[in-house]
Amino acid sequence: MIKFEEKTLANGLKVIVHEDHATSMAVVNVLYKVGSRDEEETQTGFAHLFEHFMFEGSVHVPEFDTPLQNAGGENNAFTSTDITNYYDILPANNLETAFWLESDRMLSLAFDEESLNTQKNVVMEEFKEHYINQPYGDVWHKLTALAYTTHPYRWPVIGLTLDHIEQVQMESAKQFFYKYYRPNNAVLVVAGHVKAGEVFALAEKWFGEIPSGEPIVRNIPQEAPQTVPRLLEVTADVPVNAIYKAYKMCARNHADYHAADLLRDILSTGDSSRLYNELVKEQKLFSSVSAYMTESIDEGLFMIEGKLQEQVSMQQASDAIEAVLQNMVQVAIDETELTKVKNKIESYLLFGEVNILNRAMNLAFFEMLGHAGWANEELDKYRAVTAPQMQRVASEIFRPEVCNTLHYFAAAKN
Amino acid sequence: MNRTIAPDIQAIDHVSLPKVESITLDNGVPVYGINAGEQDVVKVELIFKAGKWYEEKNLVADYTNRMLREGTTRHTARQLADTFDYYGANIHYGAGFETGGATLYSLTKQTEHLLPLLFEVFTESTFPENELATILSNRKQRLLVDLKKNEFVANRQFVQALFGPVHPYGRVTEFADFDQLTLPDLKAFYEHQYNASNLTILVSGKFDDALLKQLNLLFGSAAFKGPAADVTLSHAVSPAAELVHHIEKADSVQTAIILGNHAINKHHPDFLKLSVLNTVFGGYFGSRLMSNIREEKGYTYGIHSSFVSYPHAGFMEISSEVGKDVKEATLTEIEKEIQLLRTELIEEEELQVVKNYMSGRILRSVDGPIKYSETFKGLLLYNQTPDYIHQLLRTIREVTAEELLQLAQQYLDYDKMYKVTVG
Repeated sequence: MIKFEEKTLANGLKVIVHEDHATSMAVVNVLYKVGSRDEEETQTGFAHLFEHFMFEGSVHVPEFDTPLQNAGGENNAFTSTDITNYYDILPANNLETAFWLESDRMLSLAFDEESLNTQKNVVMEEFKEHYINQPYGDVWHKLTALAYTTHPYRWPVIGLTLDHIEQVQMESAKQFFYKYYRPNNAVLVVAGHVKAGEVFALAEKWFGEIPSGEPIVRNIPQEAPQTVPRLLEVTADVPVNAIYKAYKMCARNHADYHAADLLRDILSTGDSSRLYNELVKEQKLFSSVSAYMTESIDEGLFMIEGKLQEQVSMQQASDAIEAVLQNMVQVAIDETELTKVKNKIESYLLFGEVNILNRAMNLAFFEMLGHAGWANEELDKYRAVTAPQMQRVASEIFRPEVCNTLHYFAAAKN
Repeated sequence: MNRTIAPDIQAIDHVSLPKVESITLDNGVPVYGINAGEQDVVKVELIFKAGKWYEEKNLVADYTNRMLREGTTRHTARQLADTFDYYGANIHYGAGFETGGATLYSLTKQTEHLLPLLFEVFTESTFPENELATILSNRKQRLLVDLKKNEFVANRQFVQALFGPVHPYGRVTEFADFDQLTLPDLKAFYEHQYNASNLTILVSGKFDDALLKQLNLLFGSAAFKGPAADVTLSHAVSPAAELVHHIEKADSVQTAIILGNHAINKHHPDFLKLSVLNTVFGGYFGSRLMSNIREEKGYTYGIHSSFVSYPHAGFMEISSEVGKDVKEATLTEIEKEIQLLRTELIEEEELQVVKNYMSGRILRSVDGPIKYSETFKGLLLYNQTPDYIHQLLRTIREVTAEELLQLAQQYLDYDKMYKVTVG
């Protein structure tokens, strides 16, 4: 249970405070409701590049990191398809430093041309390090393009190409900032050894004068329902064949999300999970296999991926995965296995709460989804899932016509 | 309000450490308990002297540990997994250079069901042959994939150059090693290393006396005692004569770089001060290497330096992945940064930021019982007490730019560094 108090400033900034006096630290987490789904198709990777640019100085503060480090703190950020999240962790008695820094960069950036160019280079190196110079590095590019034809989820957060990043102009950065980085599009969570009343006063003092932006109206092109299976086959300089299956699934806020997540646990969480036992240990078809979900605001993907043992054909591998999935459609999960995954979730959620930063990020994330208090309802939502519901959800997700399969072949050895 | 003026900050001159309770089981096993926290969860870490240091053949420590999950005289691998998962537990098995063992993460209310099974794993494992064959076949595949990663290849080359191909810190996994591994090797290592005489237990989170009593009934039993590991065991280091190692990869768009050489470890009194020098150099986001090579030049997504400490050796390393076309330029900048540290005093303002940042990092490293257990485990490996943390905070506060200049001259020498590049 994460206790919190909340307040909305006149400019629309949502402020949430979670007190925890067992720690001497404070966390300041600022979530902006903008991600790669808000990008134009001609300027992919922009939201993430912009996250880098947010550390390059603001209107009154030449540098973000140094003053925070000087206050004994550290910080980082990440960008997803849907959000951009910034956090600072510092000794609680230096809390105001984080308010000063975060509010100034929400007020306005320095928009320095040279910094933008440097960050373009840094991000292009990041792109190369993770998506080009890695075996299987381009898989996510291939899969998103296969699974989505219309929605901006069809490109990865890092961007479609290096060119898109190289071509970014300052004017776009300014427009993006004044559209999305406004208080009415942000959630501020402060957690740790702090007092709610003082935090609200600090929020008013530092963020209160930042002008509100226009309400954001999103016209994100939505995907038409997929009706036929899609298959892409590629060959690359990798040592081992791999297979990826991306099934369309419900959005994060859908009532079936928790049932789908428990299906994923049954398939892939822990040494007792079905994919590992049936396909790696018993049938010995794969050297590794796993399932995960994209957890996105719009319709997401339920992913299965595996690396094939040497003598195994793609067809065999594909059939074997489908057999495991179809079993979940045809046979109801028994009580023991259902209890098991619910117990795993309980443990996962509680361990997640040990860390003060996780608690702060959770509150911000659920506030973005609708209400911070949902963070405390997760366990009940998982507990309420029934075997028949899971079977129905399995039958809805694991349909061939919503499946996107990537066969990733190892090039023949010389 | 003048936004150009930073709010006042308070110096960190004190760290309060969670209390560590120390008890000894009936058979002599030391147990350290950090009982605190809000959530009803507990972490039980079993630390055996069962690392690579003690193996006689490559991979034995790693695969003995890996096989602990594969079945006991009373339960198959699947039954073990089913039960641990049923109670919501996570168990992380692992063997490193010095130690090997398992860490149980559990809801406090479930530990009584889990500890007996965990004990069984360390006393009745059967090492089934077919499971080993599957695991080795999967690991060979993983190695094939890893060998396609420049950073991985560079790291292999670097540790081999530093320690030689035989020393536990220097020997890497070759495909032939998998074929030479036998079940008797693993079983012998299990008997010799995984017993009470080589065990230390670390418990953190929320727990009561019942858990400690149960630990004593199981891991404290007289029958669990066995041969004690030879802590005087030593291995000869045979560094490569050649300093420069380059592996060309025509298709790469980036080059992995690792530079470094032997240095001191945490047993040496200079180590604390050296950690301040390292932070300035390449140990945090605001470091000189990051500021210059990432934030000014944009050559890389990240560049870091560290003084790596293992109980039997220490070394310094600088690592990065940079655009292939700027490899030489990066090396030149690294050399320049080292020269600067060797010839010019670090300015007061920069040093103060590093001191404040490092002090904050100490606070984070002891924040909460589970986080503190990681830090505390690090101390145990060097027979250090928590006072080391106070000492570190003091050293950070007191170290001077003059001392750091002298340390740079002593420990940072570009010309004597191994230089590995792959890509």
